[in-house]
Amino acid sequence: MIDVNARKKLGQFSLKASLADGGFICLTGGNGSGKSSLMRAIAGLLPLDEGHVKIDGIDVTRSPTETRGVVLVTPGSHIPHLNVDDHLTWGTRLKKLRIPSERISTVKGELGVDFTGRVSELSQGMRERVSLATALLSCPKAILIDEAFSNIHNRLDFMAAYRKLAADARVDVIFSTQDRSDGSHSDHLYVMSDGAAEKIS
Amino acid sequence: MEHSRKIIVMNWLRVIALVSLFLLLIPVAVLLYYGLGPMRSSAGYSITVLHSIELTLFSSALAAMVDVALFTPLAYYLARGRDRFAETLVDIPVSIPHPIVGVALVILDSPRTATGMFLTSLGINFYNTILGLVVALVIMSAPIYVKAMQPYFESKDTAPEDFAMGMGASRLRTMLSVVLPSSVPGIESASLIAMSRALSEFGSISIIAYYVLQYPFYGVSPASVTIYALFSGAVSGGLDAAVTASAVMILISLPIALAAHFSRRNR
Repeated sequence: MIDVNARKKLGQFSLKASLADGGFICLTGGNGSGKSSLMRAIAGLLPLDEGHVKIDGIDVTRSPTETRGVVLVTPGSHIPHLNVDDHLTWGTRLKKLRIPSERISTVKGELGVDFTGRVSELSQGMRERVSLATALLSCPKAILIDEAFSNIHNRLDFMAAYRKLAADARVDVIFSTQDRSDGSHSDHLYVMSDGAAEKIS
Repeated sequence: MEHSRKIIVMNWLRVIALVSLFLLLIPVAVLLYYGLGPMRSSAGYSITVLHSIELTLFSSALAAMVDVALFTPLAYYLARGRDRFAETLVDIPVSIPHPIVGVALVILDSPRTATGMFLTSLGINFYNTILGLVVALVIMSAPIYVKAMQPYFESKDTAPEDFAMGMGASRLRTMLSVVLPSSVPGIESASLIAMSRALSEFGSISIIAYYVLQYPFYGVSPASVTIYALFSGAVSGGLDAAVTASAVMILISLPIALAAHFSRRNR
């Protein structure tokens, strides 16, 4: 459950968005509508002027990113010098979590991570698959995906697989997209315009 | 019409730029010409001068390594923390007259001060030691290192760092396992710039380490001090020897400055 009420003035633009939902949430809206800012606020990368951020009922408004359990994934979110397998388990090793190897192979299979090599030498779409799989395996409370589905081949199949894996792991997901029809592949749809978020479903 | 005017302006800019660059390089050209030509003197590359240059290369390289080990976190902190106050403080050591830093180190280590007595009880001595020389060079080169590393870190995409912190990594952990492995070219270039700065230091080290008294550099002065001693007549050899020694020093430090430039180009 992600419960956010974000108020932040950014020059001419002001973010004044509320969102309270769990599951697989689609966030859409035009360029400059505040999707990325809202996600950065939830992840603790954009300090708020006013408002709150609660993750699973815990108020994290004043907490640093590293203690929130919220991973932001953008098209640039990868650790370039690692190879694919080390990358996938980076978060779990960091938190000293033990994850059954079947779980890792399931995630790899479902998300089409069937390649190896250094992450910096992969294609953009391959990197995004690896980053999204890494985020899921790090057992966070929520994953925020800012346009990071966009370079993936067979995007809708990938999103369906990701939705199922996240639901199984009880991880809430917010993903931003330019394509409003992606809303039909999600539990909830929010449309942002001019810094405000409107709940459609 | 518009286009051709632009080209003419560009050419004048080029003329002005190259003339000013030429003015800047006159001292180097003068030393190279006279030092290796008309004023060439064998006292300028005597064993004393060569030992001095060895000491300077050794202590400057060491200072650059200390810069990397101790000041990389500061550069990263400044790049990500937006701490204007700390940013201003970094510049202070290079913006005061350099001999003062030498004096400060002498006082810090003097038997007449509490800090000096404490350091001596630990066996730490700055005056006329390699340690004192390196400490002075670190103080004078670290701000240059930090100022070279900070924009490098600032120019890096923060998405990998945000990603790592989201998975629970602290800032320090993120720096160590995400940022630094992909920052080797930047560190190489910044440490070479810092080493060039250390090679050229004179003011502070002429006070704290006019010569050093440790193996394997017993009685050896840093190169800049030796050149000054030759010039002032404190060491026999005269002006010709000072000019020749300067030319030799330029020939040796030039590749380091060039390496710093090219590693920055390629990063």
